[in-house]
Amino acid sequence: MTSEIAGNTLRDEATRPAGGPPAPQNKKRKGVTERDRPLWLLAPGGLLIAVIILIPLVLALYMSLIDLDQYTLRKWLTTPFIGVENFVEALTKTDLLRSIWISVSFAVVSTIVTVPLGVAAAVVTQNPYRGRAIVRAVFLIPYVLPSFVVATVWRTMLQPDGIVNSVLHNVGIDPGLWLNGPMSYWTLILVEIWAAWPFIYLLALAGLQSVDHEVHEAAAIDGALWWRKLREVIFPYLKGPVSLAFLLGTLNHINNFTLPFVLFGAPAPADVNVLPILVYVTSFQSFRFGLSAAMAVVSLILIAIPLFIYLRAVKLDVSDDGGKK
Amino acid sequence: MSTQTRTRSATRTPRKGRSAEVTRLMPTWLIAVLTTLLCVLVLVPVAYIFLASLNSDVGVARGEFWPSQFSLESYTKIWRSVGLGKGIINSLVVSGAVAVVSALIAIGTAYVLVRFSFPGRLTMLRGLLGLQSIPGTLMLLPVFVLFASIGAWVGITIIGTLWGLFIAYLTFALPFSTWVMVTYLRGLPRELEEAARIDGASNMGILFRIIVPLSWPGIVVSGIFAFLLGWNDVLFASIFTKPNTATAAIVLQVFSASQEGGAIPVYSQMMAAALVCAAPVVILYFIFQRYLVGGLTAGGVK
Repeated sequence: MTSEIAGNTLRDEATRPAGGPPAPQNKKRKGVTERDRPLWLLAPGGLLIAVIILIPLVLALYMSLIDLDQYTLRKWLTTPFIGVENFVEALTKTDLLRSIWISVSFAVVSTIVTVPLGVAAAVVTQNPYRGRAIVRAVFLIPYVLPSFVVATVWRTMLQPDGIVNSVLHNVGIDPGLWLNGPMSYWTLILVEIWAAWPFIYLLALAGLQSVDHEVHEAAAIDGALWWRKLREVIFPYLKGPVSLAFLLGTLNHINNFTLPFVLFGAPAPADVNVLPILVYVTSFQSFRFGLSAAMAVVSLILIAIPLFIYLRAVKLDVSDDGGKK
Repeated sequence: MSTQTRTRSATRTPRKGRSAEVTRLMPTWLIAVLTTLLCVLVLVPVAYIFLASLNSDVGVARGEFWPSQFSLESYTKIWRSVGLGKGIINSLVVSGAVAVVSALIAIGTAYVLVRFSFPGRLTMLRGLLGLQSIPGTLMLLPVFVLFASIGAWVGITIIGTLWGLFIAYLTFALPFSTWVMVTYLRGLPRELEEAARIDGASNMGILFRIIVPLSWPGIVVSGIFAFLLGWNDVLFASIFTKPNTATAAIVLQVFSASQEGGAIPVYSQMMAAALVCAAPVVILYFIFQRYLVGGLTAGGVK
């Protein structure tokens, strides 16, 4: 009861300076909170992230510089330091460059196809109609299914004697092998597209919902045709979310290990030997740990470029205090 | 602008679009065509998976789309032939524990990050986003070496136990779970907390009496995403488990890989096993759909 009353008076007090300069309010709040900040609450998460993410990151860098294999793994602290030899070997004697090319082209092609699909899906479910909830649920199915399930069922369907081939055979097409040979690259892209477009749809949907009703009304009053309205009025609103979707989608594709691993197994056919699979196989099947760490570091550099753009674009702090905007 | 959008959808305000005519973006026929195409794209494979799981292995091998005879036989066989039960229990235990613990840690961390100012705060927020995108393949080897070394020094086994998986998933879930809570807590009004503080409530009192009761939707979202991370992972589980600690994903993957070259392919059982593995996730999504769809876009990560 008392807290309720206090709440009311305080709310008045708190809302009052909002119109004025925010600086004094900030100072006051800092005074209250600075005395006993429960910073220890950061400890459990911070400790875990430090031990399981940050230390291993440093470890990965270190391991990329030493001659680590299955014989030296047990005494990795005393393993000879060989400098950049692993990197030189990775770039000149392994499939690394080819894998980078496969990964990047696969990611970019997948993104280029999924973005229009996702945006179209968001646009067609924008207006309420009977059964829209069901359509939206259907659109989410590929997203909701775990990657390993998606990969397993497609692997089954794309077997040489699987349903896809028998259906195509019935209409007179003989597609051959999906999971081996040059076709496997396109199989990977197809399955990735099937699984990934709803992610773009969700981001585009959030973008569409940020369009104010007044904008629609203004466009309607102007009598704009639907495609002009879409292109000139609505799409500019989607620019932010779609760029984000483009970036994150590409990152997700490049980092995707589960889909190629379950679809093709490891070692993968040469045409789908994407970066994550190459790193994995070099580590845990060839046991060239140092070499694999070097490859992983190279792939991190590759990922850091879009990641950096992403981090610069996201506004970190929307709260009204403590942030240096 | 995108941050605003995401904050808003994370706190889930009601949709707008009162007048359908004004907000219509396409002629009805085009909406119908596109909707149908997209639904077919999704539903045809899904329908086949269901039908095949209700078929017999022989029927699927014959290339039947529509089963000549429906039976639930595949659903009863997989428990013995695939050994799916153990895998599902392992997955539930690890992912469930990760969900609960990561939600607990995330809300504490997010509370401090949102409500208090201290040096390094922005770096931590940026770190939360950056850490989500670190490729698992980069982490796998050093974490493996770390676990093996710690295990050897302390004299315990970590690799091959569910504990190793739990710690790894928990840590990898934290950046995203915390980020979800950060976006959620930002949307909460400050007044209640300040009132409680005037009444003499401690920081922990405020956290547990005010923040936690108000943040259930956020807690659920952050817990579920942590659960999904564990449930969906193949990379770490493929190295960190032994046959008796294998998760559902690994059991299914091993089963599926072992079918190659077999005399009689058991595709029907494969479909049934895949659907059983997907079931907990699908159920979670459709129960909490309202919260999740907002949360997905909050961090923009699957």
